[in-house]
Amino acid sequence: MAYSTLRAAALVSAALVTSTAVSAVTDADVQNSFFPYSDSAPTAVGITPGMVINQSNWQVAEPYLDEAMLAAVKEGWTEISVDKTTSFGLHPKYVEATHNGAANVTLGDAVGDIQGYTAGRPFPLEPTSDDPRAGEKLAWNYQYGYNWGDNANINPFYWKFRNMNSGKVERTLKFGFSFLNFKHRVGVDPIPEYDSNPANIFRSIYLQVLEPFDLKNTQLLIYRYANDAQRDDSWLYLGFQRRVRRLATGQVTDSFLGSDLMIQDFEGYNGRISDMNWRYLGTQTMLLPFYNHNDMALSDEYVEDDGYQYIDFAGKGNCFPKITWQLRKAYKVEVVPVDESSPISKRVVYMDAQTFTLPRTLIYDKAGNLWKTFLIGQAHPDHHLAGNKGTGVSLDDSFMVMDMQALHCTTGQFRGMAYEVADRDTFTVQHIRIKGR
Amino acid sequence: MLQSILHGAGRRVLVRASALALIATIAVSLPATAANETEYSGFIENYSVHRESRGLSKLRNTAQLEFTRQVGVRGAFKNISVTGVLRGSYDAVYDQRDNEFGDSAGHSISLQNTGAWVTGGLGAGGGGVPPLGGFLPHGGPVNLPFSAVDGSPTTPGIGFGATAATLVPGQKLANPNSGLIVLGEHYTGQAGGVHYGVPVQPCDKDPRGCINGYMDADESELAHPEFNDRWDFIRELYIDADLELDNGNLWSFRVGKQQIVWGRTDLFRVLDIINPIDFSRNTIYDEFEDTRIPLWAMQAEYRMGATGIFDDLNASFVWVFDKFRPANLGQGGSPNQALGAGDLFRGLANCWDNGCTVSNFFPAAVASGLPPNVVGSGDPTLPGFAATSFGPHTIGIRDAEMPSWSLANTQLGMKLEGLYKGVGWSVNYLYTRSQLPSLHGGSSGPSIAFDPFSGAALGTPQDYLIAFDIEFPRINLIGGSLDFYVDPLKTVFRVEAAVSEGEEFADTSRTSLFRESKVLRYVIGIDRPTFIRWLNPNRSFLISAQLFGQHLLDHHEETGVSGAKVGMADWEQNWIATLLFQGNYMNDRLNPKIIFARDVRAHGNAIAPSVEYLVSDNWRLNVGANFKTGYSGGRHSYDDNRDAIATPGLGATADAAFGLPAGTVGVSQSTGATRGAFPLGVFRGGIFGAQIEEDEYFVNVQYRF
Repeated sequence: MAYSTLRAAALVSAALVTSTAVSAVTDADVQNSFFPYSDSAPTAVGITPGMVINQSNWQVAEPYLDEAMLAAVKEGWTEISVDKTTSFGLHPKYVEATHNGAANVTLGDAVGDIQGYTAGRPFPLEPTSDDPRAGEKLAWNYQYGYNWGDNANINPFYWKFRNMNSGKVERTLKFGFSFLNFKHRVGVDPIPEYDSNPANIFRSIYLQVLEPFDLKNTQLLIYRYANDAQRDDSWLYLGFQRRVRRLATGQVTDSFLGSDLMIQDFEGYNGRISDMNWRYLGTQTMLLPFYNHNDMALSDEYVEDDGYQYIDFAGKGNCFPKITWQLRKAYKVEVVPVDESSPISKRVVYMDAQTFTLPRTLIYDKAGNLWKTFLIGQAHPDHHLAGNKGTGVSLDDSFMVMDMQALHCTTGQFRGMAYEVADRDTFTVQHIRIKGR
Repeated sequence: MLQSILHGAGRRVLVRASALALIATIAVSLPATAANETEYSGFIENYSVHRESRGLSKLRNTAQLEFTRQVGVRGAFKNISVTGVLRGSYDAVYDQRDNEFGDSAGHSISLQNTGAWVTGGLGAGGGGVPPLGGFLPHGGPVNLPFSAVDGSPTTPGIGFGATAATLVPGQKLANPNSGLIVLGEHYTGQAGGVHYGVPVQPCDKDPRGCINGYMDADESELAHPEFNDRWDFIRELYIDADLELDNGNLWSFRVGKQQIVWGRTDLFRVLDIINPIDFSRNTIYDEFEDTRIPLWAMQAEYRMGATGIFDDLNASFVWVFDKFRPANLGQGGSPNQALGAGDLFRGLANCWDNGCTVSNFFPAAVASGLPPNVVGSGDPTLPGFAATSFGPHTIGIRDAEMPSWSLANTQLGMKLEGLYKGVGWSVNYLYTRSQLPSLHGGSSGPSIAFDPFSGAALGTPQDYLIAFDIEFPRINLIGGSLDFYVDPLKTVFRVEAAVSEGEEFADTSRTSLFRESKVLRYVIGIDRPTFIRWLNPNRSFLISAQLFGQHLLDHHEETGVSGAKVGMADWEQNWIATLLFQGNYMNDRLNPKIIFARDVRAHGNAIAPSVEYLVSDNWRLNVGANFKTGYSGGRHSYDDNRDAIATPGLGATADAAFGLPAGTVGVSQSTGATRGAFPLGVFRGGIFGAQIEEDEYFVNVQYRF
């Protein structure tokens, strides 16, 4: 267990001792939710740290890989390097907020209606198959998760469009991404929320394309409101038009700038809870892409001034990140769009039980066939940029979205800085007007 | 080809490329807070256009360099940066097609003469008897007695009407019948209307009709439009800086040469009118980013952020301190013109400077100098109109009054914009100047030297006379905009509206031949991504539709003596509808789209299909076409003012011709009986109608870095 995890556990324990809250959520529930590996790590027959799972021995991983990854290994497209399971403890203040607030959180009658939430993980109890709204609760744990903490920047953020058959890189996009939680903040001032938030925005995402020339200065701004019933607002600034355009919902479920991602795919899922029907399918041990960035064999294609290097890619079409995988506890959830005009019929997501990140997502087309598979490599903050150490944020560090039908993929390489603060002013429509030429 | 292009560009290109490099070097040598804080990008491209009936009409090669230098913090200011866009282009069409657009363009012309002419009359006084009907050469047999040179009825001089044979040693032909086209030659041809010769060679080759300071580009400036006396190769160069206040609000400043974009529309503009447009580049078929003419200006944005009931609130102040710049409508003879204005103006300016022959102008009965019924046709008047030659300083465009720089001539704008419950809104005000020319004629026009029908010295503007000065009137504009999303329709709505005061329009019913009118313009636009799965199962198509409306609130028309309408040629109410349909394939590397636009009242259409292929991040290929349909001669015609009695001499001539007592026929407005595409019918035909014969196919290859 890393030092930061021990420290977090100690702080949580202290919080639990001093708390007077009375609820159905016990200290043990919170401990179990945030530190599932404190007693023991998951095990799987035939799978041990250090081994490589490939075309010759894929059978051993059959119960622990989702169908898309298993198919990729069977086909020889990639290999799975297994490492030991490590704890990705989230920030102790987030854990503390969970303890203090979880007991007050309930679901309303409608999907997307949550009541009594202030901060932390809203539903730390283990999901049960007899709870018809267990999937929705897990979704809220993701939505109000500590993904990128209270605020963060990713800059640069490289996306590559790749032809899997030829291995050719068709396009390379360079982004800057910023995230800001307006509410439910626990780690960075202002806590718990920003003043003067008349629209009652919960979270905002801002991105700017830095390269290539034809997309340069394209900017995207997304508002997600605290009231889940209120539809997201999104604006796109197109550099060649020098004009802000409001996005229609349909563009959120469409290819983003030609990549294999939709805006709705950002971070695994980027939308409202009420946009989907969530069905809990079970808890299982899975091989998931969690690793220590600094321990990987990194790419030397881009080397930043501070020496930072990015995750490398290999395998078929160079679509697969060269990372290690861990056996981890995961929740499997089926996610079905409410909107019948959505181009997808469902998602199947594997939520990491400790971090509530979405390292694996399978996306099915309208006909029900597997269309895309989405991998987000999670890096431990203590083995990354020095500034990330101790932030308690499971860092999105590499991604791959593979179009299984078109044999095309988009890969992503992050330079993420949790807690790095972008001006709040960045998250305004006027900012993107001014930032654009 | 490359060799010829380089040859055509010559040494100037090297000099100018060096200028670009120098600017870039100076900019990036500005102090920065750290290394590697200057970003560069740019492109080089070739854009070639084939126009039906004209052949190659564009062979434009462009190099553009963009840079941003982060300077950081200086004193109380933060986020300081310097941004520049340098652009140079060379359109080889002026060299490659010099017989069409360059030094050898044009030819000798003849002007239509529908009048049934008889011997004697004015023709005799002017020095010749033209044939009956048919066509007369420009500067050929002269119809009016005082058309040769100012006040000289019979002696051809160096002015209009001279021939090589009549020149005395040392004299040059000022207005020979060469290097000309007939106005509308590539549009309607001569169909009984008013036409005249248009010099079409670059102004260094042929200065006829070049309007000083407005439309006077030499070949170099046409081929390299950025390298002019306004230093347009510095397309943009500005400094950004923020000043944070104690209350948390922010002032954002941008000072320098820049584009200032207001509004939410595509293809046409309602609020986005601060920068003029360069129609000479590719009329309406380039992006605004490339056709806006950047101006030296300061923007100051007071950003209040989330305030009170607003999710975002900003006040913006704009001061354009650049010397006034009009829209570039394209020069006479050049391939890209808005509404054919370049040809129209250049021909008129030549008329003023050097005289001109105007087709079908003067009523044959009057010109024949005989009373009605003499010919014995039974017709009380001789039918038709005689091609008529005017001497210099009689009709045409004398001058363009280009506003000089002064504080009073700068422009001011204010915008308050924000976000309220998900609805984006703005309120805009602009104190500006019309970027489009207003022709002040008749009683507000220039003094004419003499009465071409009597030879009398006049020296005063004459009511209804088609002698003009170009002016650019002051305009006040107030407007606003909204955008919002309607979820049940899955559609984004965009709305803009503006009312302007001070715009001027041609009006044949007024003695000054123009009238001021308030104008209401608006647009309603919708954007809807829509899946059409049989075309693309996994990627939606963008359907974007817009309806632009224009209402001339002080529109005026009246019934002329003939029973037909005279007045303002522009439609009192008109709409243009646009529809964009765009798909994306191969991860947005293959992007077909089609744009359809319809001018509702003119019945004119434009259809512009294109396919863009991104070969890589560096290479782009774009091929396409634009077609125009819907020409309607009658619909695109308007009172052409040719039968206005605009000078006392003409009235007296008519009195004599019809045996009327002197002074019976006084100066009077047009009867409305004579109508055509020129000069005002083109306003009825609109932007698509004027391009009816300009279907084009293009190939655009671009390398970006």
